[in-house]
Amino acid sequence: MSESPWLRIGWRNLGRNRKRTVLTALGLAVGFFAVVFIVGWSQGIMAEMVESATSLVNGQLEIHDAEYRPDRSIYDTIGGRDGADIEALLRSIDADPAVTAAAPRVYAGGLISSGEATSAGMFMGIDPTRELTLSRFLDPLVEGRMPVPGRNELLVGAEMARQLDAGLDDELVVVSSGADGSMANDLFTLVGIFRTGLVELDATFAVMPIGDLQTLLVLPPGRIHEIAVSTVDPWIADETAARLRDHRWVAGIWQHFGRRAVEVVAWTTLNPAMVDYVALGESMYFVIIIIVFTIAIFGVANTMLMATYERRREFAVMLALGATPRSVRAIVLHEGVALGGLSLALGAVMTLPLMVWFHTAPPDMSWAIDDVTIMGALLSPSLRVEYDVPFWIMTAVALFATALLASLLPAWRAARVPPADTLAGL
Amino acid sequence: MTRFGNPRLARLTMCLTLACLMAGTTVSAQPDAREIVERIDRLMRGDSSHGIATMEVVTEHWERTMTMEMWSLGTDYSLVRLRAPAKDAGTATLMAEDDIWNYLPKVDRSIKIPSSMMGGAWMGSHFTNDDLVQESQMIDVYDAEVAFDGERDGVMVWELRLTPKPEAAVVWGSLEFLVGQDDNLPRWAKYYDEDGELVRTMDYSEVTEFGGRLVPAVMNMQPADKPGERTTIRYEELDFDIEIDESFFSLRTLQSGR
Repeated sequence: MSESPWLRIGWRNLGRNRKRTVLTALGLAVGFFAVVFIVGWSQGIMAEMVESATSLVNGQLEIHDAEYRPDRSIYDTIGGRDGADIEALLRSIDADPAVTAAAPRVYAGGLISSGEATSAGMFMGIDPTRELTLSRFLDPLVEGRMPVPGRNELLVGAEMARQLDAGLDDELVVVSSGADGSMANDLFTLVGIFRTGLVELDATFAVMPIGDLQTLLVLPPGRIHEIAVSTVDPWIADETAARLRDHRWVAGIWQHFGRRAVEVVAWTTLNPAMVDYVALGESMYFVIIIIVFTIAIFGVANTMLMATYERRREFAVMLALGATPRSVRAIVLHEGVALGGLSLALGAVMTLPLMVWFHTAPPDMSWAIDDVTIMGALLSPSLRVEYDVPFWIMTAVALFATALLASLLPAWRAARVPPADTLAGL
Repeated sequence: MTRFGNPRLARLTMCLTLACLMAGTTVSAQPDAREIVERIDRLMRGDSSHGIATMEVVTEHWERTMTMEMWSLGTDYSLVRLRAPAKDAGTATLMAEDDIWNYLPKVDRSIKIPSSMMGGAWMGSHFTNDDLVQESQMIDVYDAEVAFDGERDGVMVWELRLTPKPEAAVVWGSLEFLVGQDDNLPRWAKYYDEDGELVRTMDYSEVTEFGGRLVPAVMNMQPADKPGERTTIRYEELDFDIEIDESFFSLRTLQSGR
């Protein structure tokens, strides 16, 4: 501050009416806090939504047979009718640096019955060990334990268990259509109950070891419907998908069939609405900056106008003693800059500790609000905020711009004070 | 003097006769569509029936032939039990009023088909569970009209058009039947969705005498969107008006494997 005399003078002037200065600076600081905190919270919701959509059950990437979506026929397995060497495929996917986990899955629709009650269900065959590294919905279970392969054990959602009136160790009849057209049916023991919070999932999904479901469906072990993949960050899913698509294994399948036989899709393709939603949120952040600082600008301008009006005689003396109107303008503008600096410091002191607190240990609001589902993603009612340093810098710039803009009119008026008339008390 | 000496009287008689004739033709040309449907139903089903049929299902992925034994009573009760192939033998479906139960011998359990699954395939065929229930009660939920009455390919036929009654919860947007006037037997049935798109066609052929009645022995169901697929049911034996009562159509019979 010592380099520029204008800034030093501006800073000193702020000290002449400290109460007013602090109040004005507080106005800007609260504006800064509001923008950073609201946007941080909104980004927290978006991040949780994306995270929930891509790690609760689904991965951030899915690998299927090219024909699998949208009909999800049990015949459209990866590698076609012959299936594929799933272990080798999983190993090569695991080798990608962006991949944190990959898990094979088999799906089939059918009926699940306990005693008198029967529900329509979606059977999901999983590799229990791999699945636990990828998705969150089976860990922890509400009750029971993970199924052991080869023992016809399964898990169902809490809502399905309620509808079937089934408890642990109950025998459930599972019915589906076998790949050979037979009536696939068998008895499974219920060993665990999961709860995702997504009613649709909790009411329809039954999860069992992949080999047991393949046996039921008369599918050989090499035939699976999906490999779910999770990546380090949901937002690099697209590039990871592109890289896996060019992978030698996928390219090999392509050559084998003479067509693009495998598709690698990122969640952004599977759930474009959520991508749009996040983009919409981001566009709103600028609107929030504009609204908050537009309100602030009038308050600051008003205070500065009053302050300069009170000091008309002072400016008249300066001008009478030979100061140029330009230097008077510079003094007032630098008061604005100094005010901006003070406000930013106050704002930072106010905002940063709260941001750290709400990021690392967000207050749990579940005592007041139930879980919320947005676009098929589950949100827990916490006030977690996300850090976004570039956005903070942008907000700080907006704060300075506000202080500077608010001092333009007072500076212009201060420089135009007529010295003789003012000093004559006219 | 002729019998109708009076020319005016003769003309009048002539007119009356013509009028009567025309009235007669009108009556036979526009029979009650509902009555036709009921007549077909009675003929095809009888009050009760028992038969053995084979069902051949051809899909893009597999083909299989099943042998089944079936019993029916009125429109509300029927029981179908698979006899072959060995893997599925004993599997049975009981239809009692609006409910459908499946018996699975492998696990020795019966499960009731939930209403949400009524549109699902029955025994892997191109028939749905709904077909078993709906077919029998078609006349209650659809309005029938004769859309065509005349000669087609040298045979006098009626073409019946069935549209859902207002507020009826039905699967189809409309149905069309072609019925021969000489034998009251259906030739084909076409099923349309709500947009008027053909969904599937059922052809009836090989009219054969079973239990003193002439009925089509073969029914072929062809989905419109999968030209290579079909389900063909062929009656091997069929008896009508057998001794059977409602108590036969019970869960106990279903599970007994008889």
